[in-house]
Amino acid sequence: MAKIDGTAAPRPTPNRVVPVLAAVALVLVWLLDLGTIQPNRIVPGTGHGLVSAVGWPGAGLVSLVLIASLAVSILPLAWRYWALLVLAGLSLALLPLLLEVFAARHLPPDSPYARSSVGAGFWCLLFLLSLMLIEILGRLKAGRGVQLLVMVVIGGSWLVLLRGAGLESLSLVREFNAQPDKFAQALRAHLALAFGAVAVSAGLAVMLALKMMRSPAWQRPILGAVSFMQTIPSLAVFGLLIAPLSALSSAFPVLQELGVRGIGWAPALLALIAYSLLPMVRNTFVALTEVPESLADAGRGMGMSERQLFFQLKVPLALPVIIEGVRITTIQAIGLTAVAALIGAGGFGGFIFQGLGQSAMDLVLLGALPTIALALVADALFTLLAASLRPVPATA
Amino acid sequence: MIELKQVTRRFGNVVAVDAIDLTIETGEVCVLVGSSGCGKSTTLRMINRLLPHSAGDILVDGKSITTMNPQQLRLNMGYVIQGTGLFPHWTVARNIAMVPRLLKWPQARIDERVRELMTLLDLDPATHADKYPQQLSGGQAQRVGVARALAADPNILLMDEPFGALDAITRDNLQLEMLRIQQQVRKTTVFVTHDIDEALKLATRIAVMDRGRIVQHDTPENILRRPASEFVENLVGRQDRGLKLMSLRPVRELMTPHASPKRSDPGADALKEDDSVRLALSVMLWQDLKQLAVFNARGEETGVITRERIMQDGL
Ligand SMILES: Nc1ncnc2c1ncn2[C@@H]1O[C@H](COP(=O)(O)OP(=O)(O)O)[C@@H](O)[C@H]1O
Ligand SMILES: [Mg+2]
Repeated sequence: MAKIDGTAAPRPTPNRVVPVLAAVALVLVWLLDLGTIQPNRIVPGTGHGLVSAVGWPGAGLVSLVLIASLAVSILPLAWRYWALLVLAGLSLALLPLLLEVFAARHLPPDSPYARSSVGAGFWCLLFLLSLMLIEILGRLKAGRGVQLLVMVVIGGSWLVLLRGAGLESLSLVREFNAQPDKFAQALRAHLALAFGAVAVSAGLAVMLALKMMRSPAWQRPILGAVSFMQTIPSLAVFGLLIAPLSALSSAFPVLQELGVRGIGWAPALLALIAYSLLPMVRNTFVALTEVPESLADAGRGMGMSERQLFFQLKVPLALPVIIEGVRITTIQAIGLTAVAALIGAGGFGGFIFQGLGQSAMDLVLLGALPTIALALVADALFTLLAASLRPVPATA
Repeated sequence: MIELKQVTRRFGNVVAVDAIDLTIETGEVCVLVGSSGCGKSTTLRMINRLLPHSAGDILVDGKSITTMNPQQLRLNMGYVIQGTGLFPHWTVARNIAMVPRLLKWPQARIDERVRELMTLLDLDPATHADKYPQQLSGGQAQRVGVARALAADPNILLMDEPFGALDAITRDNLQLEMLRIQQQVRKTTVFVTHDIDEALKLATRIAVMDRGRIVQHDTPENILRRPASEFVENLVGRQDRGLKLMSLRPVRELMTPHASPKRSDPGADALKEDDSVRLALSVMLWQDLKQLAVFNARGEETGVITRERIMQDGL
């Protein structure tokens, strides 16, 4: 008996996203400056376009990679996304080499203050290649293992290249090398503040959510209070806390010894906690109350105690949503901690405001880039955690 | 045995259950039937103390339930609800194991019991044990719900419209399954439904409820033959009472038995001794026959049933 065979693979449709991204990258990398050379830290530099920066061979290679990506992505080949993954991944991993070539070609050999810095063309290339990579990983339906591997390869390659001798002249590296201890210190302060605030507010949020579940009369006042705190501009909160905390610390010397003063980490931590409460309380409360009553009823009817119901039913079902709250809060806290530098809390914000004051854009970047990187890493980690804790398999 | 004595439940000013007396004998299936909102679920949920009663007393095996620890009480009462109430983050096996785990049975005994119950409810342990509830069909999920209720071998089974959300065919299958299992395990069962046919099919005795009161408590046959009020009469359907009575009666009671069973080929649609007289009549009408052969469970022909006999003694 003849059977209709459905196994013939459907013709892969051409991708629309990757060719557009590649084409835009190709145009921008030719139009914009790839990098600039400054005789010293303050003087504005002279920009160099693609050809001038890395020469015809370099420009040719960059263009070739982009054109190849464009071509492969519209070809109806089954393995094209794997090819694109290798192409885009390797390009991203080796991207700092462009800056190395640029520095080697243009940096005057005997001027210790001269520095190279990154131009708009390079940033665009980095950004568009990253978008391409995300699109490709999505199309491949790549598992977490593959994603992690790609991230580790690219991140590792950047670290090695940036620490190497070839990029010593890069202004960002110069700023880092000028004060490596301060960078490590800022990292520690930033992490301690952001994660400290998240941890404390997570504890508080769980207690508040439980209180609201037990006594519904408290729902409106608690949610009202935490929403109100969210509406005050962050700078104002930092400012508002200065006066009462100075008063407290001068009244109680014990507090002073602990470092609690009108400025510094104490008001920053308090403000960050206040900001973190709303998403955390709301998500925790909603997640716990949205567990269907019929399930609790069944559990109770089978002889579970309230305690067993809470830990065996409500918490596991609510956990992904609660973690989502923690994720949002953490990203928000990492960003706000940068602002907290204004009241002397430390962290990467210190570099940003110092750089703004000195018109040294690369110092600003030294603060801004790690802040962004921290937020991205936190986002990825919590997304992973939520996915692995999802109690119910997604497929029906 | 479960005894309700003058049990009342109020919600504010609403009297949901109004001073009812009801005795459920050990091993019988008592079906509470009545229209929506008449207090069936409230009555059921007072028995396992999910709702406290406002007045009266409820006794289980002679002991007032208010003197018992509610968790202890419920661990000895299986509970099945309409939406299954299966925990979505637990596998089928883990769901069935709920009460044995609460009772801290050793794992080996739990595993064995889960396998045993899945087989009893016609679920293949190998293919279904590790599935999650949302990967099951409605009928399979409710089978798991029943297995969960039976897991620790409780004395009492409370079921609140367990098959209410299923399609007609699946519901029919599960009702038959229920009858078969009840033959084996003989649980004292309180079963809530708004479907009078389901009540007639499953009940040892039916308690008809109306606005918080029990208006009649009797066997299915008596409910049909001697409805206590117009309300009950309407509920059972004035006009098709004849056919409903016939469906309560097994063919065995009206057939003319052979002296000794005959070997013959029954075929798939053959009439069995346990089938209802109503089914026999329906087949005869459809195939225009005057009589039908009746077979036992082993496939032997044990007698015949005639149209004439049904017309004379069918009711
Ligand atoms: N938790 C409750 N609060 C207030 N009224 C209720 C509650 N539960 C049930 N009732 C009322 O009690 C009556 C009986 O309800 P129920 O026992 O659920 O009916 P049934 O199960 O027969 O459909 C209905 O009028 C219903 O509105
Ligand atoms: Mg009900």
